[in-house]
Amino acid sequence: MKPILRLDMVSKRFGGVITADKVSFSVKPGEIHGLIGPNGAGKSTIMNLISGIYLLDGGNVYLNEEDITNIPSYLRARKGIGRTFQTPRFLQRSNIRDNLLLGADLANQFGFLKSYFGKKVSNFENEVAGFMNLLDFTFEWDADITALTYGQLKQLEIIRSLLSHPKVILIDEPAAGLNNKEIDNIMELINVVAKKHGIGVLLIEHSMDMIMNICEQIEVLNFGKLIASGTPVEVSSNEAVIEAYLGRDLDA
Amino acid sequence: MRINKLNIKISNIVILIAAVSFVLVAPRITAGYFMMVVNMGLIFAIAAFGVCVMLGIGGQLSFATVSFMGFGAYFVANLTSGRMGIIMGSIPVIILMIIATTVVAFSIGLVLFKLKSAYFTFATIGLVQVSWSFYLSYVPLFGGPDGISRIATFDIFGFRAEDFHQWFYILVVFVLIVVFLVERIKCTQLGRSLAAIRDNEIAAQTLGINIYMTKVIAFTIAGVLAAFAGALYAMHSQFVSADMFTFERTTTYIIMAMLGGVNNTKGVLVGSMLVTLLPEWLRGMQQYLQLIFGVSVILLMVFMPMGLAGLVTSVGKRLKRKLHVNKKLATSTGMEAKR
Amino acid sequence: MSFGMFYHRKDNENYLVFIVWDDTVDISLFISLSVNGFAMGMIYALIAMGLILLIRAIGVLNFAQGDLLMFGAFISSALILDLELPLYAMVPVALISFALIGVIFMFSVYWPLRDASYPVAHIISTMGASIALREIATLIWGSIPRSMPPLMRDSETGRAAVLRIADINLQWQFVLTIIVGAVLIILVFILFEKLYAGRMMQAAAQDKYAAELLGIPTILTTAATYIIVVILASVGGYMVSPIFMVSNTLGVLQLRAFAGVVIGGFGNIKGAIIGSLFVGVVESFGSLHFSQYRDAIVFTVLIVVLLFRPQGFFGEKVADKA
Repeated sequence: MKPILRLDMVSKRFGGVITADKVSFSVKPGEIHGLIGPNGAGKSTIMNLISGIYLLDGGNVYLNEEDITNIPSYLRARKGIGRTFQTPRFLQRSNIRDNLLLGADLANQFGFLKSYFGKKVSNFENEVAGFMNLLDFTFEWDADITALTYGQLKQLEIIRSLLSHPKVILIDEPAAGLNNKEIDNIMELINVVAKKHGIGVLLIEHSMDMIMNICEQIEVLNFGKLIASGTPVEVSSNEAVIEAYLGRDLDA
Repeated sequence: MRINKLNIKISNIVILIAAVSFVLVAPRITAGYFMMVVNMGLIFAIAAFGVCVMLGIGGQLSFATVSFMGFGAYFVANLTSGRMGIIMGSIPVIILMIIATTVVAFSIGLVLFKLKSAYFTFATIGLVQVSWSFYLSYVPLFGGPDGISRIATFDIFGFRAEDFHQWFYILVVFVLIVVFLVERIKCTQLGRSLAAIRDNEIAAQTLGINIYMTKVIAFTIAGVLAAFAGALYAMHSQFVSADMFTFERTTTYIIMAMLGGVNNTKGVLVGSMLVTLLPEWLRGMQQYLQLIFGVSVILLMVFMPMGLAGLVTSVGKRLKRKLHVNKKLATSTGMEAKR
Repeated sequence: MSFGMFYHRKDNENYLVFIVWDDTVDISLFISLSVNGFAMGMIYALIAMGLILLIRAIGVLNFAQGDLLMFGAFISSALILDLELPLYAMVPVALISFALIGVIFMFSVYWPLRDASYPVAHIISTMGASIALREIATLIWGSIPRSMPPLMRDSETGRAAVLRIADINLQWQFVLTIIVGAVLIILVFILFEKLYAGRMMQAAAQDKYAAELLGIPTILTTAATYIIVVILASVGGYMVSPIFMVSNTLGVLQLRAFAGVVIGGFGNIKGAIIGSLFVGVVESFGSLHFSQYRDAIVFTVLIVVLLFRPQGFFGEKVADKA
């Protein structure tokens, strides 16, 4: 199966610090791919490089085997790269409906004129309701986004990204700040995303519970370099990885 | 949710009643001069709506309002005063003006938005100074310091606006149309994209928003609105000269927008009327007027940075919270059973 | 007069080269125009330094800067014309008044907003201050412009003193403006680079919270910054008043200073000064042939510079934050 996302010798430096050092791996459609490493290993940098917020210093990024290395980030989003952030990025002054509509806008890509003259965003509310069934909370469409808790926002950000019908989603530390129930819900959500919708998932996480449970492949970064790659079983018994940081979390 | 909708409905109804009574009552109780001032308030409001779009919805501070007002005003002035050997009808000249402004504003926007936000603001200051300099000095197109006079008044299908009272009704119609158009933006993709650029630019990028183009489009819309206001001004006053398009004037429009609540057109309309009418009502205190105005602006920023609209919204929210809390207390057992 | 502009790219850098050729200018006119340009440039530089200090130390864009200059001019005129103080008495009184105004300005315009979340609120507040300052000046001193005597007067003719070098006549007022401006610039540099007080102020500017933890009284450093800014602008007002007459419209000079700040390099004192001098010279030579379009020329240069080198001549390229 062709990989939906492929990194080839991706490199990035900030001044004298090399944050990404010839990193190469690929993600298949419908695959849940983990990206782990100690703090400062360069995981978020990789995500920023894939989504186009940083420009590469070396190497290439391929989406569905199309070279997107030099394409600006908004075009990458339109081609199907979805993204969530460690701290959810919503518009604080808008309500929940408008915030979610941003995701749908991306799917529809009507252009401003069509949207102005009344073309409705098709099936939007039903689609959201469908996703919300997997989660444990409800909201009012016209409520301010500030009414939701941190945990709810993290889950909602994944839904916003799903609304844009992406080909691959980059999820950055979904479990951080969530309670156990919410973590279960998010894992279920990510499973559905990958298996039912066939979206490739690249997942940054520190919670070994989640990583070992749902990831099929894991890349391990340390100091910007890829030090191991393989299934959860392979990675957890890898000497280099254990040495780097896995040791603390043996009670999974 | 029902309480929410109810609140909004109430405030909308209040505004509607106030607006309708104003429109009905104002022409009857005001004399010619006062009517003219009210009209000015309406015309300036349209320019301030442009600030709404660029600053309120898009979050970019642009001083270019007066440059485009001048463009619209002189465009109409030249083509309806016979200066250039042509006299066009009002509707054709307005349509032509809108097309011309769209092209010009879009081109200028393409150039200016290559700059980052603070530099962009300075460039708009530069634009205002350049345009004002030409409006003041280049006689062939702008009449120099004496300006252009004998501009034809608004004329549609034979009906000419002969006095300020008739102008009032025409302007009310135009303002309503513009308010509707601008408010609609907020519910569409353009409005959401601009809000994203304003509030969380990185999220906007990863949500597929072309930040550069979206800003240029907003700038164009703001420019067309300002030019429209300028055209109306020219036709209403039948005279235009460069002192309407100075840097000081442009700060007034920004203040009007901030007073109203920078992304709320109804508030901005009120703000514009206030800023234009208060100096007339307080004629007696002429000397202290500007001083009070200046100090009020500072106080406004300290206590009400979201303007009148913000004040209304926050009062509404507090009311809603009180009602909601009461409802919760009343039905708490009911809710637990449902869970 | 011929004017040429061409674009050149070297070492990955963009250069814009201006060539101006004018046969009608002889050497004495050239020097005279240059001195005039530098003098006005100094005034703009004094405004610009204040602007940069407020941007870097406090993070506000002050649209009332020109009106502070205007107010300083009025106070100076009051001290000299109304109270008829001799120069040695006038200077300390003026400086104390300027300092007071700085403190009042800070507490009324900046302090209430210091925690505001919208940066636009600050800018609008200074716009309000600008209007208010103009009105206060009009209320106190009336709206008729007053004329100020130049600093040095010719004892014979009673008019402005003129410096003669070879064949060239230079107005002493311009020369003195350049000298006074240069002295102030040097003083400011000494304060910030050499003295401990200056370093305290820089620390407070970069990180207020950390500075307070180190025992630096940020309210004092903020007040000190405003005092310096107002003194710079007010002295500028005093030096420019014999040239332009003291009126409540003097505030418009700040627009040139804005242009200077951006041309020279945003956020950089050295750049702001050089940019302002550049603006002064361009304006001076521009007014030779295009006096009506002086504004247009200066600000077209601004826009062109912004397009080709948005960080100005001396700014550093600002990297995008992710």
